[in-house]
Formats: sequence, C-alpha cells, structure tokens
Amino acid sequence: MQSLDTLSPPFDRLTHDEAEILKQRIDIAYFRPGAVIVHQGQASDFLHVIIKGAVEARHGAALHDVLGAGDIFDARAVVHNEAGEDFVAAEETLCFLLPRSNILDLVHRNDGFAAFFYAELSRKLDALPTQRDLRGIDSVLGTRIRDARHSEAVFIRGCATLEAAAHAMLEADTDAVFVDDGERTGVVTGLKLTRACMIRRLPAETPVREIAQFEVVSINADQLLVDALLIMTRSNKRRIAVTEDGRYVGLLRDLDILGLFAGNSQLIPGRIARATSVADLSGAAHDIQEQVERLCRQGVRVEAINNITADLNSRLHGKLFEIVAPPAIREAGCLFLMGSEGRGEQSVRTDQDNGLLLARPVPEADLATFQADFTLALESFGFPPCPGNIMVRNPLWSQPIDKFLAQLRTWVHAADSEAAMNLSIFADAVAVAGDTHVLAGAKASLIEMVRGETRLLAEIAKLIDLFSTDDLGVLGTVFATIGFRRKDIDLKRDGTFPIIHGVRVLSLEHDTLAGSTRQRAEALVARGALDAHFAGEILSALTIFMNLRLSAQIDARHRGRTDATSAVNVGAMPTVERDMLRDALRIVRRFRELIHVRYSLTGP
Amino acid sequence: MLRSVRRAIDRARISDPRYAFLFGEAPPDEVVAVDCETTGLNLRKDEIITIAAIRIRGDRILTSERFEALAKTNRKSAPEAIKVHRILDHDLQHGRPMREIMPELLHFVGSRPIVGYYTDFDVGMIDRYLLRLLRIHLPNKRIDVSSMYYKCKYRDAPDHLLIDLSFDSILKDLSIPAITQHDASNDALMTAMIYLQLRDMLKRGVRIPRMRAGAIADLGIGA
Repeated sequence: MQSLDTLSPPFDRLTHDEAEILKQRIDIAYFRPGAVIVHQGQASDFLHVIIKGAVEARHGAALHDVLGAGDIFDARAVVHNEAGEDFVAAEETLCFLLPRSNILDLVHRNDGFAAFFYAELSRKLDALPTQRDLRGIDSVLGTRIRDARHSEAVFIRGCATLEAAAHAMLEADTDAVFVDDGERTGVVTGLKLTRACMIRRLPAETPVREIAQFEVVSINADQLLVDALLIMTRSNKRRIAVTEDGRYVGLLRDLDILGLFAGNSQLIPGRIARATSVADLSGAAHDIQEQVERLCRQGVRVEAINNITADLNSRLHGKLFEIVAPPAIREAGCLFLMGSEGRGEQSVRTDQDNGLLLARPVPEADLATFQADFTLALESFGFPPCPGNIMVRNPLWSQPIDKFLAQLRTWVHAADSEAAMNLSIFADAVAVAGDTHVLAGAKASLIEMVRGETRLLAEIAKLIDLFSTDDLGVLGTVFATIGFRRKDIDLKRDGTFPIIHGVRVLSLEHDTLAGSTRQRAEALVARGALDAHFAGEILSALTIFMNLRLSAQIDARHRGRTDATSAVNVGAMPTVERDMLRDALRIVRRFRELIHVRYSLTGP
Repeated sequence: MLRSVRRAIDRARISDPRYAFLFGEAPPDEVVAVDCETTGLNLRKDEIITIAAIRIRGDRILTSERFEALAKTNRKSAPEAIKVHRILDHDLQHGRPMREIMPELLHFVGSRPIVGYYTDFDVGMIDRYLLRLLRIHLPNKRIDVSSMYYKCKYRDAPDHLLIDLSFDSILKDLSIPAITQHDASNDALMTAMIYLQLRDMLKRGVRIPRMRAGAIADLGIGA
C-alpha cells in the first residue's frame, strides 16, 4: 500500500528495516478546516506529515507559516514535549500520523535521523545537508590540506650554495625548497634562483640564505583548502607552507588547488595590484563576481565566500581610489565602505555604500571630479548606485572630518528616525584606502557620543521593525482560508535585516562595532552583553538566510534578471530546508523581542 | 427485496451460529473501507483476486491494522482487468482459497458499515462466497462514496448537466492525491480518505462547486 515517502528527508536517513517498521505503525487522520491539530506549548502523540491540505502555524492571532503537502510538524511537540506554535487545519487536511513512541525510538537509535529533531538550529545546520550539499559539490574546498595534493618539504642548509639548491629542486622535482638556517627557516623558489643567477649575476657559490625569503606564510595541515585559498588571497601569495605539529611538512601551490577546481581568487589581487587604469580594474572586478558564483557552485560556506569577496572588494576600492583620486584627496582623504560591504557581508553586488572623509579641506574642483569619477567607475564595474544615495558623490557622505563630526553630533541630538538610519549606516563604516586614522577617529567619537543616549539608542533599535510584516494578522487568516498561500518569504526583510540590525544596535551600545555581524556577536558575548547560546542560534539563522539569499541572487543573475529580489518561494524548498527556515524565523522573532525589551520599545 | 427483510431472513437461516456477530451492534463511530480486485465485472462468473479492508474510527484511518488477502482463482483474468490491477495469473500461485480468507475477513469487518466506491459490486462479489459459506448475504450497512459525492456536488443539478462520478474526478475535486497503482489496498485507502472528507463536508453543508470550463476565474468572488 502506498504510504509515507521514506525516500525524502529526514526519513531517507532510516535503514530499510527501520522505515518498514515505521510504515507499519502509521495511521492517517482527517482534519476539518479550523481544527487545532497541535496546541502551542503542548506535547503531541504523533508527528504529522501532511498528505494533502494546508495547515497554519499560528501564534495567537499571528500567522507564522502555512504548511502544505510533504511538510512535517511538529518536531518540538513530539521530541521536546512543547509545540512552538498552534497548528490549525486551514482546509480539509489529511495527515500521516507517526506515533511518538516510534519516533523517539528512532531518534535514540539513529543519529542521522535524530539530527532533524535537534532543538538547536546550530546543531541542525551542522548535521543536515542543505540542498547544495545534496548535489555533492561541497567536497573539493572542504578537503583538509593534509588530504590534498601538495609537494613534500625538501630542506637544504642555509650555507648550501645556489647550485646545490638548484640540484635539490631538480632531484625532488619541485620548484621551491625550505632553507634551514639554524634559528630561522625560509623558502627559496626556482624563480628566485633564476633571478639571482641570471639577472643579479650572483656566483653559483653564493650561500642560499642570501636570497631566501624568511617570512614564510604558512597554514596548518588540519585546515581546509578554502582556508588556504583565503590566506593566499589575503597575502597575495601563490605558494604557502604547510605545517604539522609546528614543523614544515610541505608546500601548497595555488596550482595544486586549481588542479582540483577552477577557481582563481588568489590571482585576482595580483591583477588588481598591477592595474594602472580604470579599464584594467574593470577586468578584475568582473573576475570577483565570477569567483563568487564559482565558489557558491562548489558549495563553499557562505561566510567564506563573503570573506574572500570582501577582501577582494576592499582591494578593488583601494586601487580605484589610488587611480581616480587627485593627489590632494589621496593625501587628505580616507575612503570607507558602509552597509553590507562595510561588514564584509556582501558577495553578490547589490549597491554601493561608500563615503569619503577628509583630514583637511581640498580644492572644490578636485572633490567634484573625484566624486563623479569614482561613482561612475564603480557603476561600470557592476556596483549599482545606492538608491539611498549613500555614496561619495553625496556631499553628506564626503566631507572634511570636523564638519562630519558636527553632522554626527546633530544626528545624535536630533535622535529621530532619519538620524537613526544615518547613524546605523555609518556604524558599519570600514576604511579601505587613504588615511585610515581619520575614520577610526570618527567612529571612536560616534561611540563616545552615543554612550548613555538611551532615547537615541531606542530610536535606532526601533528600526528593527522597519520592514516588519511578521504577522499577517487578521488579513492572513482570511488569505489562508480562501486558499492563499504565503509562499514567499523575504529573506532580507524577515531574516537578515532584523538580525544584522539588532546586533548592530547592541554593538553601538557596547563598542563592538568592528567587523562582521558574527564578529560583533562574538564580541558581545565576550562582554557579557549577549547570551552565548542564543548568539550561536542567531548566527546559525543568519547563515541560513545568507545561504538562501546568495543562491537566489545567483539564480536571478543566471536568468538575466538584475532586479534580484530577496523573496524565496518556500513551496519549492525541500522539507528539511523549509523546516530549518521556520526555526530560523522563530529565532528572529525571539531576537526581535529581546531588542524590544532591552530598549523598552512598545508594540512589534 | 428490501434489504431489511432479507437481513431478517438471513439472520434466521445463518448456517453457522458462530457468525451471529455479523448481525450485532457495530462499535460506535467505526466503519470499514473495502475494495476487491476481480477477474472481471461479471458478478456471476468472475472471481475475487485480492481483497483489502481498512478500519476507520472517528476521523482516523487505521492503516496500521488493515486486512489484505490474495486469493486463488479458477478463472483467468480478462485482459482489461489485468490492465487495471496488473496482477498476472502466475502471480496468483501464492493465493489462498476464498473459503480460508472469508472467515478472517468477516472477523475483521464484523458488523461495521462497509464503505466503498460502488459498494454494491464489491459486496455482491463477497456475497457469492458468503452464500456458499453461511447461506446468507453480507448484512452490513453499505455506504457508497459515489452517492455521497453526488449529494455534495450534483444534488439539485439542472437536468441537462453531465454527471461525472468517476473515481478520478472525485479525487480531483477533493484534491486527494491519486495513487496511480491500483490494487485493493490503495483503492480501499483512497476510498477511506474520500469518505472522511465527504462525510465532513456533508455534515457542514459544504458543496463542491460545479464549474464550467473557463469559469474558474469567477471563483473566490462569487462561488
């Protein structure tokens, strides 16, 4: 007889025998519209899998989600004795009833199956594959360096001659050897050797320590290839040493990684560094975007992609500043990025958020030329202009430091929603070129000014509800009962924004603005301003939203749409992902409540 | 013959008193969905190949305690019948004689009302064996989902309206996912699902809208 589909997650984790036994125990229930199937806060005797119909997940009058065929509810009610929401049939609904005793038994004996029922989203995220992993491409960059192909370490003494070094390389069939020079260890490459002999005309008897590089960039063999790629990109090296137990055991070349997959992010910094014109940079900018897609396709974690991209983008902006800025601005100015770029969380380009602070006034004409040229060049690289006009070409965001500080003070005193918005944006500012001290000073002043300004902080905190449509309320009820399905969830509005902003306002208060949302949250935990466990849950939720968002953005690009929306069709998602998304949304709601309480905000 | 009269006669002439429970009180709020696959559609000549029964208690379909049996037949399946049930004659070697299956079936069904799709055919089939075994007809109350569906959709329909009571149309109207593999178990299960939904809709007085092609756009404002 046709029964539960045990080929789809999480039931695909069961052995054949486990699945068969479970199937034998399943009954089916019919629910009339309006029937409450599981009550919030109560245990449930069955895990329900919807055969047909629609079930609303509700919290009081608020509609949180509408579940359809294939959806499972409610893991919490079965395993943790406490349903997260009310589950109410919205239309004539049939469900498989999986008895609780059987589910608990399977949870105890089958770890893979149990992962689905973890209470913590962070554990679930680690244990359950996302859709992308299922396509089987996470493997390459997730490989440990010790398992990847790299050349063995060959050592020669520092007093050995260049000639001996050349022979050592030839024998070992490698193009670089370690130089053991007593206290210190260095590296000499074939290219260095060639230059020394052919260009500098050093005698072949020269001790190799004369030309060895003693500042060795290295990575532990236990780390992953993606980490190696990140280090290569950051250090602009194409070869790094591999260490194990504090010893050098080999050399990993970019080519070793390239052999495994077709990426080239470690080549981009060189390309940026060599650029002498906007046109040169344009090629590199294009490469960065390609790289994002490639890394995403290969299943690289979204945070790693963000890290690599942020690093490359900041180099790109820095170089562009160097090329475009007139000498006066280059000397007095500090270019900074804000928003997601400032936090290092933008991978697919959404818009430009940048500004310029000047240590001292510069000629008007210089500034005007720079503002126009810079914005235009970025636009040609594929960074759309900021809809809110938060760009250097807006005089508000490109002024001398003393005027800007006065502006900050005005905002702090005004403490209205516009000021709150501007201060939030500036809180993410990070310097990418010029005199970075100018920005550092301005941000320190900001923290100083904000301290103790509870009314202002509350005004900023209030922005967390800026896009809040969390509750469809009464309208939602009507929609759901006439068959309207809330299939679209706006990942930015419902997910990333509230998390990022909540962490941001806490960071403004506690002086933990440096870095990404993850780094901020970790710093808040370190200061005791945020519970460590909850912070972990928030960050897992953020990862889920960012992952989905990145996939959607890349998907939109492939369809040739530039109006990439942040809405996802929940109906098209695999059950497990949808379930995790629901958990993530629940965490957002809890975080929002926390911010409300913390800053004494009223109403959602 | 009125069914109640026949029931009274049967009750008197049952050949084996151990089966008197068939005439007893059914457990409250329980029915049984029954479906047979047969060698063909002739009630006098054709035979049962498989028979399945699933109990329904309240709003629950008790699939965990269902009854299912494969019978040994003398007659070969008509080619059209094989197309439906996909049981070839050589699959039937493992079948058991109906005289063995019948007592089990009767104990499983008891005096519960029988739910089916065109129940008369399935019960008619069972009656052939039952007459031989106990000299009676199956006395259980019959509930036919096709007439429930008719009530829910076509009652008070204008005369010229084309009436479609096919199994597939019922499933579609109730948006119950069709199981493409027809066997007695699957059909009994789908019948049970149909029954529960229609019973509730009739209780609440909900009608299935009759739609002309192209009239779908009207739905939601007027319908």
